[in-house]
Amino acid sequence: MTVDIAEIARYMRMGRSLPDGELAGRVERMRDEALKTLRTARIWRRFPIDGNVIESGGLKIEIRGTIARHIAGCHAAYLVCGTIGAEFDAFQRRVSVSSGVDALVAQAIGAALIEKWMDETNAEIEKELEPGESIVSRYSPGYGDFPLSEQRTIFKLLDTSHKIGVSLTDNLLMVPSKSVSAVIGVKKGTKAE
Amino acid sequence: MMSGIAGDGKLLFLDGGMGTQLQARGLQPGEVPELWNISHPSDVRAVHEAYFAAGADVVYANTFGANPAKYHGDAPLEDVVAAGIGIAKEAASSAGGRRLVALDVGPTGRLLKPAGDFEFDAAYDSFAEEMRLGEKSGADLVVIETMGDAYELKAAVLAAKEATSLPILATVALGEDGKLLTGADVECVAALLEGLGVDALGLNCGFGPDLMLPYVKRLVAATSLPVAVKPNAGLPKVVDGRTVFTVGPEEFARDVAALVDAGASIVGGCCGTTPAHIRKVRELVSYEFVSCKSASEKSTHPLQTHPLTHSKTIVTSGSRAVKIPIDDTIIIGERINPTGKKKLKAALAEGDVAYVLREAVAQAEAGAHILDVNVGVPGLDEPAVLDATIQAVQSVTDLPLQIDTSDPKALERALRHYNGKALVNSVNGKEESLSTVLPLVAKYGGVVVALTLDESGIPPTAEGRLAVARKILARGAEYGLKPSDFVIDVLCLAVSAEAESANTILEAMRRVKDELGCRTCLGVSNISFGLPARPLLNASFYTMALGAGLSAGIVNPLAADMMTAYRAFRALTAKDPACGEWIANFKEWAPTGGSAQPVRPHGGATQGKETGASSESPLASAIRHGLKSDAAAAAKAALSEGAAPLDVISGGIVSALEVVGRGFEAGSVFLPQLLMAAEAAGAAFEVVRKALPANASGSVKGPVVMATVKGDIHDIGKNICRALLENYGFKVIDLGRDVPPEKVVEAARREKARLVGLSALMTTTVCFMEQTVKMVHEELPGCKVTVGGAVLTREYAERIGADNYSKDAMGLVRYAESLFS
Repeated sequence: MTVDIAEIARYMRMGRSLPDGELAGRVERMRDEALKTLRTARIWRRFPIDGNVIESGGLKIEIRGTIARHIAGCHAAYLVCGTIGAEFDAFQRRVSVSSGVDALVAQAIGAALIEKWMDETNAEIEKELEPGESIVSRYSPGYGDFPLSEQRTIFKLLDTSHKIGVSLTDNLLMVPSKSVSAVIGVKKGTKAE
Repeated sequence: MMSGIAGDGKLLFLDGGMGTQLQARGLQPGEVPELWNISHPSDVRAVHEAYFAAGADVVYANTFGANPAKYHGDAPLEDVVAAGIGIAKEAASSAGGRRLVALDVGPTGRLLKPAGDFEFDAAYDSFAEEMRLGEKSGADLVVIETMGDAYELKAAVLAAKEATSLPILATVALGEDGKLLTGADVECVAALLEGLGVDALGLNCGFGPDLMLPYVKRLVAATSLPVAVKPNAGLPKVVDGRTVFTVGPEEFARDVAALVDAGASIVGGCCGTTPAHIRKVRELVSYEFVSCKSASEKSTHPLQTHPLTHSKTIVTSGSRAVKIPIDDTIIIGERINPTGKKKLKAALAEGDVAYVLREAVAQAEAGAHILDVNVGVPGLDEPAVLDATIQAVQSVTDLPLQIDTSDPKALERALRHYNGKALVNSVNGKEESLSTVLPLVAKYGGVVVALTLDESGIPPTAEGRLAVARKILARGAEYGLKPSDFVIDVLCLAVSAEAESANTILEAMRRVKDELGCRTCLGVSNISFGLPARPLLNASFYTMALGAGLSAGIVNPLAADMMTAYRAFRALTAKDPACGEWIANFKEWAPTGGSAQPVRPHGGATQGKETGASSESPLASAIRHGLKSDAAAAAKAALSEGAAPLDVISGGIVSALEVVGRGFEAGSVFLPQLLMAAEAAGAAFEVVRKALPANASGSVKGPVVMATVKGDIHDIGKNICRALLENYGFKVIDLGRDVPPEKVVEAARREKARLVGLSALMTTTVCFMEQTVKMVHEELPGCKVTVGGAVLTREYAERIGADNYSKDAMGLVRYAESLFS
C-alpha cells in the first residue's frame, strides 16, 4: 500500500495545490520512511440488525438518531476496525520533536494511509456480500449523535485489542492513533438504489 | 525450574486452543470466556480432559482474560480464577500421572504509555492481582502468553516474579513480519526475558508452525533457556463470515516436529488447534525427537546452555536489540548529561521535555547506537526526573538507553520502568556500590558499566584497574551475573593532569579484552580536559582507543571529528563492508578552504525572476522559500558584511516572516509552507542570537508554557504551535502531552509565565482543559490562557473561561505577539 503526494497534500490542508521545491522532496522522503513503519491490520464481523439493535453475547449497540437514518433499510451491519499500526505513531512522535513541518507532514501521511487502508477494507467486505446486497458508507462512533462510548461495545464485539492490537484509552481514544472503527450497513439492492 | 518440569531433557507437551474450543461449544462474540468457568464448568472441564487424554502434560486454565484491567464479567474475578484453576485441577487429577495446571495470563487489552495511556504500574498491579489469585487457587506455574508489547510483557514477568513463587513460561505473538505489535523482534524479546529471569520462553499464536520455523531458529540461537512453541492451526481464514483455521492435525504435527528439530522443547497449539492436533503432535514428535536425538548429539538442544549465547552482550529498547560488540565498536551518545551543559541543566530544571527529546533525536540521527541519560542537577528530585525523562526519551527513539545515575533509588525506579533491557552506568569496586547496584542489575536484567575504582581510588596502573575489574566480575558472579553482563570502563583521566593517562588507558583496555574477555567503554573526551583545541585531541585519542579495542565510546555523536574517526576506523579495519557507510557519508566531501562558503542559490532562477523581487534580500528569499541552511548562511553573510544583529532580526527575519504570515492569513500560503518559512527563520535567528551580546534585550520573548491537557495523548497541534512560536523568537517550555492541571500551574508559576497554551483533541478531554484554565486563573492571576484543538470553538473557549482561542498556529503567534510586544 502507498499513497500519492496529492492525497497527502489534501491532508496537509493544501487543497488542490501540490507541494513543490524543498517541501515536495520532504513529503516524498517522509512518505517513504513512513511506509516502512506500516503494520496494517483489520478485523470485521457481520451482525444482523434486529429491531434497530446489533446484539451478541449480551452486548448491544442501539441504532438510533443520525446513524439510524444513515443505515435505514439495512438488515445487517459489519462492525469494522482497522489500523496502520503502532510503529507509525512512534515515527510520528520522533519526527514531531524537532520540526513542525515534519509533524504536519507525518500527520497528513498517516491520515491518507489509514483512509486508503479502510477503503481497501471496504472493498474486501464487498466481496463477502450475498448476491444482491450492497454496503453503505462507514459510520463511526462520535460522528453525528452516534455516541463515542459505543466504541467500547464495538471493541469488545470485535476483540480488537487481541486480534489486531487496537485498544481504547480511558478517554476513548483509539491507540494506535491512526485507526478507524465503524459500522457499515448492508442493504438489499445496489448502491445506486 | 521449567527444565525440572520438563524432565531431564524430555519434551514437555502443552494443550491446544481453548477459545476456539469454547466457540465451538457455543461461546458468542462479545461474551466473557472466563465466565464459562462458572456458567459452563462441564464444557471447560471437557476441553481440559480431552487435551490430557490427547497427551498434554500441561493445560492452560481458562483465565486468559482474567486480569482486572480486562475482565468485565458479572461474577467476582476471584471466583472466576478459582473456578478456572479448580476445573483444570479436577481434570488433571482424573487424568492421573504428572499433569500440571498453568495459570493462563493474557494481555490487559490496554496499550501502555507512551504508545497508549495505561501506566506500567497499573499493568503490573493488574497482572499481580491475577497471579496472586492463581497461585492461591493452586496453579502449578504461570504462563504469560500472546504478548504483543515488550513493555507489557515486562510488567507481567515482574508481577509473576514478585507476586508468586511459581515457575514462569512467557510466550509472545509475532506478526507476519516476525515482530511484536510494538516492533520488537525475537532477539529483543529473548534478551529482555532472559534478563528478567523467566524459566522458559517462546512463541504462541500469530501463525502456523510452518511460518514459525525461522523465528524459532533465531530464538533458539538467541537464548539459553528452553524454547516453547504454541502455533495456530495455520493462518485464520474467513469462511461464511466466520474465522476458521484450516491446518489439520497431520500437517500441524509434521510442522511442529520441524520446530522441535530446530530446538523447541515445549510444544502445544494455539487458536484453531484441537485435541486431535495435540494427539498427533504427541505421536509424531516424541518419535522424531528421540530418533533425531540419538542420530546426532545436538549441541543446540535448548535444555543445554549455548556457549555462544553467553558471550553476547545485548541491551534493548522496547523494539530494538543492540549488541555491544567485542570485535567492533558502537557509539553511546553522551549529550543528555547536564554536567557542563547550561542549556540542558535549565531545560531539566524547567521541565522542558522537548529540549531533551530534541537532543535524543539529534543523536540518534547522527548515528548513536545507545543514548546515555543522566539528569543529575543539584536540587532536582532525581528518581522522579530520571524516571520521567527516560520514559519521554523512549517515546521518541527506539535506541536502548544507558541509565546514568549514582542514586540507587533513582536507578531502581528507572530500571523498573525502563522499556527493555538497559545499560546501567555504573557500578564500581566499592562495597557500597557493589551491594546496591549488582542486585538491581540481576533482578531487572541489564548490562552494567563497571568503573575500575574502589575505596582506595583509581589505581594508577593498568594492572591495578584490571584487579578492580576482576573483583567486580567475581562479585557479579555471586548474583548470577556473567562477564558478558559487564562493560568495563577503565576510566579516562585528563593527560594534562596525569601524563601517562592515555598510555595506561590503552594498555588496560587491551588487557581487559585479552585477559578478561570483557567489553570496554570509555568517556573519551575527558582526556583533553584543561587543554586547548579539545575536539582535535579527543578525535585523535578516540582513534587510538578504537585501535586498542574499545567496544563502546561514550562520545558526542554531533561532533563531526568524532564521527569521522569512528567511520574511518571501521572502514580501515574491515568492519564497514565495502566501505559502504564511509562512502555514504563522505561521497560529497570536499576540502574546506579558509574562505566562507558561498551562499547557494536557492529556489531556482525562475522563481527569483517570477517574483521580480530584486529588492528582496537573500535572507528574505531563503526564508520565504523555506530553505533552512540558506537562511542561516544568509544571516551569517549579512552579519559578516557588517549588519547589526538586531537589524538583521527586525529588518530581515521578522519582515520576511511577516510577508509569509500575511500570505497564510490571505490563503495564498499554506500551513506547511508557513512552517517551512518559520523553520528557516528559526535557523537564521539562531545565527544572529549567537552574535548578540549576552542578555541583549529583544532577542527572546516569553516564556510561553505549553501542554496537551490531561488524558489527551495526541499532541500534533501543540507541536506545530510550539515550533511556530519558537521560530518567531519565543521561548517555549513544552510540558508534553497528558499533562495534569497542577503541573501546568507549577511550571507557569516557576517560570513566571504570562501565557499558557493548552491543546485538546477529543471531546472527552476538553473537561480537563476547563479544569486547567480554571486552576491557572485561580492560582496565577495575570497569566493568560490560550486554547486550541480540533474539537474547540471560540464559543466553547469562552465558556470554559479561556482568554483566547486560536484557530491555527499563526493565530496563536499573533496573540502571543500582542501580549509580549
